[in-house]
Amino acid sequence: MADDKDVLRDVWFGRIPACFTLNQDEVTEREAEPYYLLLPRVSYLTLVTDKVKKHFLKVMKTEDVEEMWCESEGTPLKWHYPIGVLFDLHASNTVLPWNITVHFKNFPDRDLLHCPSNSVIEAHFMSGIKEADALKHKSQVVNDMQKKDHKQLWMGLQNDKFDQFWAMNRKLMEYPTEDGGFRYIPFRIYLTMSDRPFVQRLFRPVSPEGNVHTLGNLLKEMYPAAIPNEGEPKQNQVVIHGIEPLLETPLQWLSEHLSHPDNFLHICVVPVPTD
Amino acid sequence: MANWKNHVRAGLQQRDQTEKLPHVGVFTTLSQLEERFEIRKQILDDVQCNSSERNGVEAGKILHLQLRETEHLSEKLSQTLSDLTTVLYLKEAELQYWQSRVSQYRQEAHTLAKGNNTLKARREKDELLQRWMEEKREEADRMNKNNDAQERWQHLAKQMKKHLQQQEKEKSLLVDASH
Repeated sequence: MADDKDVLRDVWFGRIPACFTLNQDEVTEREAEPYYLLLPRVSYLTLVTDKVKKHFLKVMKTEDVEEMWCESEGTPLKWHYPIGVLFDLHASNTVLPWNITVHFKNFPDRDLLHCPSNSVIEAHFMSGIKEADALKHKSQVVNDMQKKDHKQLWMGLQNDKFDQFWAMNRKLMEYPTEDGGFRYIPFRIYLTMSDRPFVQRLFRPVSPEGNVHTLGNLLKEMYPAAIPNEGEPKQNQVVIHGIEPLLETPLQWLSEHLSHPDNFLHICVVPVPTD
Repeated sequence: MANWKNHVRAGLQQRDQTEKLPHVGVFTTLSQLEERFEIRKQILDDVQCNSSERNGVEAGKILHLQLRETEHLSEKLSQTLSDLTTVLYLKEAELQYWQSRVSQYRQEAHTLAKGNNTLKARREKDELLQRWMEEKREEADRMNKNNDAQERWQHLAKQMKKHLQQQEKEKSLLVDASH
């Protein structure tokens, strides 16, 4: 079970400073001031931008307002990805605060999912947890939980309550000692230069010979180009929660400590900045 | 501690040094100021509306404003209290969980110790039985040897007796012949 609590806390309380600006093409009654907000890395955009919406609605007419969506340097931001993943993928090499443009028109249906209410975010979050537990424990832990336990996980994330969330999430991180880890590691590898949204396959934390699998083993099998060839300059960065863990880091430990609240290990492979 | 773990810890701290810590102060202050501004604006609107008939009661306005602000502060404090109570409740639940784990492990240890004692007793019993069987076997061997020797002696005695009888018979025949 996850026991390095300081790492869990650092992961949970990761913050990204952001500056929200209203898109120039929006019709306003007076000039809209930008809105500054510290975004929790592990949360979702639509869950933490109520104040942003309220701020911009003050200068707009109701008839000019449709569903709000955000964009970073021309890329629509998928609310159903954790904020930290969006930042690491699209803006990790930009100057802080992160500039996000807010739109109330021309919703990009091809790129984004609609999010009419928080219950949609809750459903998405819970489906992530259930999928992860299906991989880790054949759904046994999540199915043994009661409705109120599921609610506790969601409320913990929604209200940014670390203790409330982890009191329950701890159960999802347990495994029989003799197994040496989960059945499969729930992970997603995001590639900026690929048409596929992400890579997700079955991968065990321990090899059939009993050797511990590492981050390097996973990448070698899923996306070998992420690992630099000997003697050649590094072309990609493998980023989790804004940091580059060593390739020899055991995957089981990463899954227990660096997973997002949805219990997935979100790994971003981004090109090394050229400047 | 493993190098990879130190690397993650240092990486997270380095990340926060760049992304979070330089901004957290100013962002929090800005958010608090904004909240305060919003409340004041709303309260002022209310007060202006209510006291429009009573011109020149500036002191009353200020008092009302202070009262509303205090009320707001009190609301926030009760929220904090409620949050802390929740944390306490969770910590208590966590403590109970760990206590139940400790009790479970103690029970397991007790069962194992008991099993161990039973196993030891059985082993001693087996050893005792083994030793007893060995002694019995040795005793049987000794008896067998004795019996064999006795049998041999009896056979010998019988033969000697027979031989003696034969000699006595021959002797008496010789005496008869001489007469």
